[in-house]
Amino acid sequence: MAYSEKVVDHYSNPRNVGSMDKNDPNVGTGMVGAPECGDVMKLQIKVDPISGIIEDAKFKTFGCGSAIASSSLATEWLKGKTVDQAMEIKNTEIVTELALPPVKVHCSVLAEDAIKAAINDYKKKAVPAHANA
Amino acid sequence: MDYYRVLGIDPKLQLNLNELQQLFYGRSRELHPDRFARAEASVRDAALQESSTLNDAYRTLRDPLQRAEYFLKHRGFDIGEQGTKEVPPELLEEVFELNMALEELKDGDESARPQLVSARDHFSTLLGESDIELEKLFAVHDATPGEDTLKQIRGLLNRRRYIQNLLRDVNGYLSN
Repeated sequence: MAYSEKVVDHYSNPRNVGSMDKNDPNVGTGMVGAPECGDVMKLQIKVDPISGIIEDAKFKTFGCGSAIASSSLATEWLKGKTVDQAMEIKNTEIVTELALPPVKVHCSVLAEDAIKAAINDYKKKAVPAHANA
Repeated sequence: MDYYRVLGIDPKLQLNLNELQQLFYGRSRELHPDRFARAEASVRDAALQESSTLNDAYRTLRDPLQRAEYFLKHRGFDIGEQGTKEVPPELLEEVFELNMALEELKDGDESARPQLVSARDHFSTLLGESDIELEKLFAVHDATPGEDTLKQIRGLLNRRRYIQNLLRDVNGYLSN
């Protein structure tokens, strides 16, 4: 099955590849994986603690082209969104944007899981900081 | 379940391999083509068919992993299609680091090699541990059959397969 143009684009020029310091209190890290295909995806967000806006997002994915494209697209979408808005991102939007075939839908699910995991990690860290303030 | 039936045993997850072998030999003798040389064609064909099933049955049931997959399949579980979230987080972390090391090695950075060796040892240990755990779950299910235990077995098999694939990748790189 051929990849869509958008998948190929993200796959050949992945956006925001890299990593951030996971111990930074403003950084949330999501690590997810799929045992069936061996994919593993790390997605990180850096949040401005005052505005709650995601100012940076990075990812590193080991997996197929669709998994890489899904997480690359996710980081693009995350930047500039508030944490709450980011929580609303649905895997179906990724499927539509990248024109993923049914057999690759699980890649978009993985990306959505990674977003949620990163946000939850950030929130978990942020709570004690606010409590002290 | 045909494979158990052809060997004349109840469908259990825990099997004694010596007994299984004896049963297989016994049934093989019973179904041997020589015994059907003068039988009607239909009877002979049926025996041949049964004999072929018997061979498949023995090959599948003597291997605990194949046995479990066969068992789960016949209880309505589809291995591999299920459960994206059954990888423990600490294992994921390790898998991620391992992939990083594999990538470095691919780029010609030999300093990643020791990390791969220790990863290989660790994954081998994990495989051994999951085999022991599998036997325990087999025993639990045989004593008190239940959906929950089957789900646990499915999860364990998924995880085991994941580790096995990693191990294969690591070994592939190390032997190059």
